[in-house]
Amino acid sequence: MNLTVAVWATTGAVFSIGLAIVVVRRQLLAMLLGLELMLAAVNVSLVHHAELYRDEQALAVVVLVIAVAAAEAVVGLSLILRLRRAGVAADTAQLRELRG
Amino acid sequence: MIPPEVLLPVRILFGAPVAAILFGFFVMRRVKPEWTHLPILASCAAVTASSMMLAAYVYAGKGFDQPVMHWSVSGDWGVSFGLRIDGPCAAVLAMVAFVGSLIHVYAAGYMKGDPGFSRFFLVFHLFFLAMIGLLTANDYVQMYLFWELVGVASYLLIGFWYHKETARAAALKAFLTNRIGDLGFLLAVLVMISVFKTTRLQLVYFHIAAGRLELVSLIALGLTWAACAKSAQWPLYFWLPDAMEGPTPTSALMHAATMVTAGVFLLVRSWPVIEAVEGLPHLIAWIGALTALGSGVIACAKKDLKRILAYSTVSHLGLMMLALGVGKVGVAVFHLVVHGFFKAALFLCAGNIAHALHQSTANVDEVGGLSRSMPMTHASFLLAACSLAGFYPLGGFFSKDAILDAAWHHGGALSALSLLIAAVSGFYIFRMLFLTFFGARPEQSRDARFHEAEPLLSVPVLCLALGSALVGFAGGPVTRILASGWVMVPPGSPVMPGDINLPHMNMVVALLGTAMACVGAAGAYCATMVFPGWDWRWRGGRVEALIESDFGWKIVVGWFAAAARSSAHVIGVLFDHKLWDGFLESLPRALGTGADAIARAAQGRLNDYLWWMAAGTALLLGRVLR
Amino acid sequence: MSMTLTGLWVLPLFGCLVCSVLGRLWPGSVKRAAMAFSLLSLGAVVLAIGSSWSGGAFTTLNEVGPRWAYGISYRLSADSLSLALVGLTVFLNLICMIASWELEVSPGYWACFLALTAALTGVFLARDLFFFYVFWEATLVPMFFIIGLWGSSGRRHAALKFFIFTFAGSVFMLLALLVLVSSHHAATGAWTWDLAELDAKTLGPLARLVFWGLVLGFAVKIPMVPFHTWLPDAHTEAPAAGSVMLAGVMLKMGVYGLLRIALPLFPEISWEALPILGGLAAFSTVYGALCAMAQTDLKRLIAYSSIAHLGFCLLGVLSRTSQGLSGGALQLVNHGLTTGALFLMVGFMYERVHKRGLADFGDLASRAPTLAFFFGFSTLASIGLPGLNGFVGEFMALSGAMAALPVLAIVGSVGVLLSAAYALPAFQAVFWAPAGPGSVSEKMSDLHLREKAILWTMCGLMAWIGLAPKPWLAWFEPAIRGLVR
Repeated sequence: MNLTVAVWATTGAVFSIGLAIVVVRRQLLAMLLGLELMLAAVNVSLVHHAELYRDEQALAVVVLVIAVAAAEAVVGLSLILRLRRAGVAADTAQLRELRG
Repeated sequence: MIPPEVLLPVRILFGAPVAAILFGFFVMRRVKPEWTHLPILASCAAVTASSMMLAAYVYAGKGFDQPVMHWSVSGDWGVSFGLRIDGPCAAVLAMVAFVGSLIHVYAAGYMKGDPGFSRFFLVFHLFFLAMIGLLTANDYVQMYLFWELVGVASYLLIGFWYHKETARAAALKAFLTNRIGDLGFLLAVLVMISVFKTTRLQLVYFHIAAGRLELVSLIALGLTWAACAKSAQWPLYFWLPDAMEGPTPTSALMHAATMVTAGVFLLVRSWPVIEAVEGLPHLIAWIGALTALGSGVIACAKKDLKRILAYSTVSHLGLMMLALGVGKVGVAVFHLVVHGFFKAALFLCAGNIAHALHQSTANVDEVGGLSRSMPMTHASFLLAACSLAGFYPLGGFFSKDAILDAAWHHGGALSALSLLIAAVSGFYIFRMLFLTFFGARPEQSRDARFHEAEPLLSVPVLCLALGSALVGFAGGPVTRILASGWVMVPPGSPVMPGDINLPHMNMVVALLGTAMACVGAAGAYCATMVFPGWDWRWRGGRVEALIESDFGWKIVVGWFAAAARSSAHVIGVLFDHKLWDGFLESLPRALGTGADAIARAAQGRLNDYLWWMAAGTALLLGRVLR
Repeated sequence: MSMTLTGLWVLPLFGCLVCSVLGRLWPGSVKRAAMAFSLLSLGAVVLAIGSSWSGGAFTTLNEVGPRWAYGISYRLSADSLSLALVGLTVFLNLICMIASWELEVSPGYWACFLALTAALTGVFLARDLFFFYVFWEATLVPMFFIIGLWGSSGRRHAALKFFIFTFAGSVFMLLALLVLVSSHHAATGAWTWDLAELDAKTLGPLARLVFWGLVLGFAVKIPMVPFHTWLPDAHTEAPAAGSVMLAGVMLKMGVYGLLRIALPLFPEISWEALPILGGLAAFSTVYGALCAMAQTDLKRLIAYSSIAHLGFCLLGVLSRTSQGLSGGALQLVNHGLTTGALFLMVGFMYERVHKRGLADFGDLASRAPTLAFFFGFSTLASIGLPGLNGFVGEFMALSGAMAALPVLAIVGSVGVLLSAAYALPAFQAVFWAPAGPGSVSEKMSDLHLREKAILWTMCGLMAWIGLAPKPWLAWFEPAIRGLVR
């Protein structure tokens, strides 16, 4: 079994698990975790891609994705915290309206 | 051009009432409402004088028909108003002005102290003005205008004491019934204007004389229908007996001069049109005869004094129709004139009695033996009643004799019917006379309040009664006026369609008629004096119910009214509002339901959106990778 | 090129803007400004009428502006029919202003009336169908707010219903206009929306469809049975002045559109459609009257009577005879006056006691005799008493119908008969019958001077038109001459 197939299978599985978590779970925190999983899977596959084709641009994208993931975690976590403070459950079933 | 010698009377004829009404409305009503009648009485005097001058003018063999103003014009379509002073107009106008003015004088006394005095006089005079306009019109549309104005004025007068439920109902009934009749008039005018392109009386005569008879039967039928409503003939007579809910001067004016005569006058005016239709005169004669007999019988059984007189009016109008129907136009007009006098006198006598009781009408239960307390009224009533019954040499004899003669010469059942009507008339009017002025039967309450009416009330009545006695001798002049004024008929056609001449006295008919009246009067004497309580004893059975329902016709009319009301409810509330509007309003609701179904896919749940996103991405990826 | 005609609609629009600004700065002065602009508009119309009258005859005023893409051009024109309706608009607007003078309303009220006047004026003047449509729809907005903001309890529903119904109608009209314009382009290669240049012959087989689309738009506005059910609700809930504008002018837009667009463009098809359209019109007169008989709310009753009256207008117009067209056009003005006066009076009563049911009143002839006089007068005018204005229009319209299709005239005459059967019982119930339990009659006071002045003016005009209609008919003559079949 060569490495490429192994990496694709692993990242594909991890990505799918992340997607499933995001779509099925209603807990915002869990959804955030699922999102991180998906990002991580993409990162791994990108690193493998850079290795395979000697492509530095792919590594640059990896760095970018890490930065975006960090920023997203900051915004998402702080939103969840804020909800907690407001005494609202971080549950998408309840959070159905956008209001200023 | 209006001939200069009658320019002034013609101007006064319209100028005086209009000025009096406007002055009364804008000035007197504010400044001194209890004097509103003064300018109006002055106007009455002026109108009477000018109508006498016009009658003299027509008597001299002259007449004119003159358009005065274009009322409405559009393209080649146009209606112009004008004046037509001719025989029928002058004869009826003289009577209307004279009798009407006397009733105005009477009303000044009768209505004194009523809170609506000024309103009454203004509308009263409007009523009078409308009739003058109707009589002098030279165009059918103009006639229709005044015809409706007469209706409105009568509506306001019948409903004058609007606090009374019965007055309101009677006013509405009168107006709506007349409107049903007006439908015929309106359609006739519409057909006329589309066939002949004109509604001017004279031009219509020309067209008829020239043999243009298409749709003429429709026109004639419409006019007859309208006349049946205005002149209270079966099937539309039923508003008139109720119309006595108004103040008595109103009833007098309406029954004698201004309203119910309009229908007969319309037919006289339209006689060339009516006569051109095969069988229609015959129909009119039969309607008249049957109405006259039926209402005469009903009058025999009524207890309310004004109601007796009201049914008597219906009966006499039927006689006029009968005369018209057998082609005796002149006889009909003559009876119209004579009837105006005696009916006005009788109504005002009834008014005097009611006035003494401070009521709007009186019942036979409340009167009796008034000959001692009200001698003047009694004398007037006696004179007018004899005239109505047709005793020689009072006015009614001549006109009724002429009608009987006409029917006699027509022969058949109509002649027998007319004799029967004569007997019935004698019965009901003498029954009323005996019950009111003689006796005081045990069934009748003797009211101490009866006293002779004040001169302002009794003198006009006496004048009218004397007039009714003497007017019979005016048969010649009336005929001459009728004949001589009819100057504008088309050349080559008979001078006046129908027969204007009064018949020479036929001894057989005269004796028969008088005998029938005597039989009626004797019957009344038996039923009221010989057996004084009979009038109270026969009541209560099926016969009374039959007569009270006007031989069932009132019930039929009630069905029609109920049907109209309930269909309005079904259409207006059930169909339009509930069903149709409900359906239309349900359409947006149905749309809303559909929209909700679609909206369920986007309820704001994050996970749903993510599903969609994932599915969409997968779809796109699938397309790209393939 | 004079700008008189543009001025006619820009002036009230400017007034509306001024009022909106003033409403922020000095709310108290808004009604004075609105009154001033209403007076100015009336003056402008009088000026326009004066300038169109030259040498003893009417000339048509024209104003041609720039032409933009797709042939959209700014062209205004005023013949006697347009001027009469514009005159009616500004006159009734002024009446509404005077009648509402004491109302406690926000500044937007006054601005809305001026905006409505501007849009209505535009409808009657525009000869470019694009602008016609824009003005047509623009009338909806102020009226929507007038009903929805200043109406009575059910106002929101009524305003929405009004908007949706009439808007749905105009969608068909817009569709028809688009087909008309684009097929004109396809046939001639030229884009135009100008009414004078458009030719319905280019439509070919589509002509019938376009005609009915236009008619549908107009019929909802008129409103013709069976598209009428928005009217009673809108009238009932609208404030009195709103009802006056709605009945007095907005309903006239439908008949005007028929006269101005549908009949001239489709002379043949409209004649073929007479049995259907005329039949519906005649049916409206009877149906409206029967519905009115069943009403217990004064405003609803008058609203249904409007349906009947507009039926007469339509009958006359569709008959395409000289008398019918003149009568129908005159009836537009008549109905504005008569029904306007009636709605105003019901409004006066509503202001005093906040009731308008027949059973809520009684015996008002004793308590408010002046009101009784004016109400009786207007009622008689409304039921077509000869000598007052209603009769002239009805009679001429029926005469036209008799010449075109006699059955219509016969049905219409029954409508005349029935008008008395709903109007007089209502009059009696309110003014004659004794005040029943729960009646608010004792709180009624008689009219005061401002109200009397308005009603004297309107009743005077009714009598004038009724007694001497000839000059009024002569006024319409040039505008309708071309339509006579």
